[in-house]
Amino acid sequence: MKRKLILVISAMLLFSTILAACGGTDKSASSPSSSAPAPSFSASPSPSESEPAKAEKFDISLRHIQVGQAQQFRKAILDEVVKRAEAEVPGANFEYDAVEDSVNRWTKLPAEMAAGNPPKIFDLFGGPGDGQKYAKAGKLLDLTPILDELGIKDKFTDFSTFVIDGKVYGLPIGASSEGLFYNTEIFTQYGINPPKTLEELEAAAETLKKNGITPFAMGSSAAWVPLMMVNTMMARYAGPDIQAGLGNGTRKWNEPEVVAAFAKYEEWVKKGYFTKGELGIDYAGQTDQFITGKAGMLFDGTWRASSFKADGDAIGKALAGKVGYIAFPSVTGGKGDQTAVNYNQNNGYGFSADVNGNELKAIKAFIKNMYTDEFQIRGFKEDGVLPSMKVPADQLTSDDPVISKILEANKAATTVFPHFDSLVVSKVNGEVEKQIQLLIASKATAQQVTDAIQKVSEAELAAAK
Amino acid sequence: MPAAIRKTVPHVILLAYVAVILIPFVIVVFSSLKESNAEVAAHPLGFPKELFFDNYVKAWKQAKINVYFFNSLYISLSASVAGVLLAAATAFALTRMKFARTSKWIYQFVLIGMLIPGNVLFISQYILIKDLHLLDSPWALLLPYTAGAIPFSVLLISAFMRSVPAELEEAAIVDGLSSPGLFFRIILPLTLPALVTVFIINYLGNWNEYLLSNFFISTDRLKTLPTGMVGFRDAYQTNYPLICTGIVFSVLPVLVLYAFLQQKIIEGLTAGSVKG
Amino acid sequence: MKNTMKNPAVYWAFVLPSLALYFLFFIYTLLTSVGYGFTDWNALEPARYTGLANFRQAFADSDFWVAVKNNLYFILFSVFLQVPLILFFSLLISGVKRLQGLYKTTVFMPSILSTSIIGILWGFLYHPNDGLFNKVLELFGAEPIMWLGDTKWAMVSILITNAWQWMGFYIVLILAAIISLPKEINEAAAIDGASGFQRAARITVPLIMPIISVVIMLSIAGAMRVVDIVLVMTNGGPAGATEVMASYMVNQGTRYGEYGYAMALSILIFAIALLLTALYQITFARKIERIDY
Repeated sequence: MKRKLILVISAMLLFSTILAACGGTDKSASSPSSSAPAPSFSASPSPSESEPAKAEKFDISLRHIQVGQAQQFRKAILDEVVKRAEAEVPGANFEYDAVEDSVNRWTKLPAEMAAGNPPKIFDLFGGPGDGQKYAKAGKLLDLTPILDELGIKDKFTDFSTFVIDGKVYGLPIGASSEGLFYNTEIFTQYGINPPKTLEELEAAAETLKKNGITPFAMGSSAAWVPLMMVNTMMARYAGPDIQAGLGNGTRKWNEPEVVAAFAKYEEWVKKGYFTKGELGIDYAGQTDQFITGKAGMLFDGTWRASSFKADGDAIGKALAGKVGYIAFPSVTGGKGDQTAVNYNQNNGYGFSADVNGNELKAIKAFIKNMYTDEFQIRGFKEDGVLPSMKVPADQLTSDDPVISKILEANKAATTVFPHFDSLVVSKVNGEVEKQIQLLIASKATAQQVTDAIQKVSEAELAAAK
Repeated sequence: MPAAIRKTVPHVILLAYVAVILIPFVIVVFSSLKESNAEVAAHPLGFPKELFFDNYVKAWKQAKINVYFFNSLYISLSASVAGVLLAAATAFALTRMKFARTSKWIYQFVLIGMLIPGNVLFISQYILIKDLHLLDSPWALLLPYTAGAIPFSVLLISAFMRSVPAELEEAAIVDGLSSPGLFFRIILPLTLPALVTVFIINYLGNWNEYLLSNFFISTDRLKTLPTGMVGFRDAYQTNYPLICTGIVFSVLPVLVLYAFLQQKIIEGLTAGSVKG
Repeated sequence: MKNTMKNPAVYWAFVLPSLALYFLFFIYTLLTSVGYGFTDWNALEPARYTGLANFRQAFADSDFWVAVKNNLYFILFSVFLQVPLILFFSLLISGVKRLQGLYKTTVFMPSILSTSIIGILWGFLYHPNDGLFNKVLELFGAEPIMWLGDTKWAMVSILITNAWQWMGFYIVLILAAIISLPKEINEAAAIDGASGFQRAARITVPLIMPIISVVIMLSIAGAMRVVDIVLVMTNGGPAGATEVMASYMVNQGTRYGEYGYAMALSILIFAIALLLTALYQITFARKIERIDY
């Protein structure tokens, strides 16, 4: 028996040594390939080369959400910013931690904030449920002095969801709208015109359904995905000021117009307008539905536009040139401006309050290199991310057909409305997420759902006072 | 004829069970060699039209499977070895040394641990690890893994040690062995079957563990296989061939190891537990 | 020389390391849970004592009770479906001479793989459009099932995956017990003309009752602490249909920042586990031979 145990252990140890050796070679082998695309960088000589003895090496952790093929263009931009920042700060090594968006926002970051060990740089959302909550708890680095030093404070169009008591705690990386992508090929095939009213949209959905095509691609295993459309429907039915009203408690989740929006969504679920089994499909699966032509329309953020580019490894390049984009159609009898579009500047980077001198230098270099006209324009051109900073308007042109359509749709709008999740506390958002899934699972009606949310909202607003 | 049927029926049923176990693996291996989702979706069980090895290069580059694998291996291994040795020492002191009253109390105290279902203390352990400033270090897993195995291991090993005849021990002491000497030279070898069983059970538990490693570790290069692979899945969800390749990479070494050691693992697992 | 077994220094050197770890990770954390269970604490601001509020909330929290119910499903499924199947397969394997090694090796295999990797693998098999199961259903012209996306099927899907992973582990345990039985008993019965089935029911099963009891106990314990497979496959969804006690508690803490409430839930889960253990001892374990360690 003893010999057997020794055999087991020694075999495992041997095995692990082999693996460790493999691990070593892999790292050195793969690094050059990952650092290949850096055309504009080669000009500046690396300072660490000139004074190698002085540079004290240190790691600085960076949590980003640019994982998977769909996010490759964003990742490329991040890579280059990091490379420039590393060149400016001798010894700095930005250590990536790539985590999927909703896992970061709702699982990892909240837990790390509570435990007090967030990464030094991390992807962050604004609003009372995210950035503002952490800022109040003193977990976020006050960026105001850095912005003043770099002179870019006035360059941002709006970072209000990252501000607490006049201090800035996060910087939006870009802006986005949420609207309706559609497959022009399928639309032409069945003689559908881009719908301008809700009735036309429903007629289009009916036609698609009859022909065996899912009207709307949907993956609601993560509730924020269906809530994009619900958020816009709420603005159509209850007016573009509804989100603000729900945030400060002057409006109610169960007022008739909001209920109507949820009821319309419920009706579409019942009619089978969304992907079958949507509760078991995630966001990537939703995109896949649209790309493979199984669904004719996709309600999504404008950040998705770059997936339909013709070049590169764009995941939806099969659809290149066949994607249209419109703002959500108007609702007859709906309150307020029916041309209003959703507009968010709510996602960007935040930084840990717990940093040493070196890390602060690295953070400064990161901000300095990331938040520039150059990358704002590149983000727009390569990735369809609308700028969050004031860049010269003549630079914002695009020959990408989808992005031109997005700009067109947004230009037609005179009012914008935010996403409610940037204005409500996390508990309310959690309740909305839970309730929308119950609605989709036919376990609750629109009225029940909105009543339940209103109850939590009232309790939270009362507790805040 | 009936006799022949009576002999075949069990094999038919058992082979069906074997198929149920193996088919998922076959699908994964085939899918990993296919070029696209469409090919995977068309015939999940079909042999790939063309062997497409690009996925293997891609998956190896994208997910640091080797790093995750090594982390899982050394953490599970050290925690299990440490757990077995600590528990064996304790069991020895409790069952063989002459402190009967204290031992009884300690034994009962440790028994309480058996009543606490695993994971229930997760939140408090998270706070504890945080207060110890161990988050995001290998210790954040090594300590709870080792500690988590103690009640069960002490119990099982104690049961074994009680059955070691007292004469052996007395003879050894007469020969001049001290108590630690007795433990290392006589008792440990005698209870090896139980130790191996405990080791294997603990090892499998640690190797599989997801919850703690998901929250206690953030840095990519410290992640274990379960968390690393879930991250990989989240990133490449819609690319079936790539996901399948990731699964092949993470499962293959285990299966190879298992192929060589399966008899020892199964024997070891059962040798210590069946006696109880 | 006998004094060496009474040497307190050695005694404590052997006992204290385990005891310290055990105290820290079991007892101390249990006390922390109890302490914070009576507070409102988000781990960002100082805790505020709220008395029994958390427990009152838990009793009124229907989502938590759905999770409790799901754990019960796990237990019932393991004890009443899995254990008989495990027994059946163990008896079958013990009865064959050829290929016995292959059967044993194969059925045990899934239990050495990570639960999360198995979750990923099965998520792929359950895929609504392209997964194996729906492809098979399609072959027979049946309507596809939204395995993990349907509130009615999601829990069953997870139970099946869980059974696939762990049945072999228990089969191997029971098989070893059967094989270690003295051969003469069975042979004598065979000479007396008892059929294979009779021999299994009357002789083998009663003799291996102690190990069956261990398997049941381990199954219940496993069902109580199940969490990984849920987190990986559904994260409690769709619409909370697959939430189990542990996943619910973890999410209350880590996701919603309700650390006080999560600690209170952990106390409740502990209490439920105690209750179940007591029930098991009274109803089932008493009837079989007691296993004393």
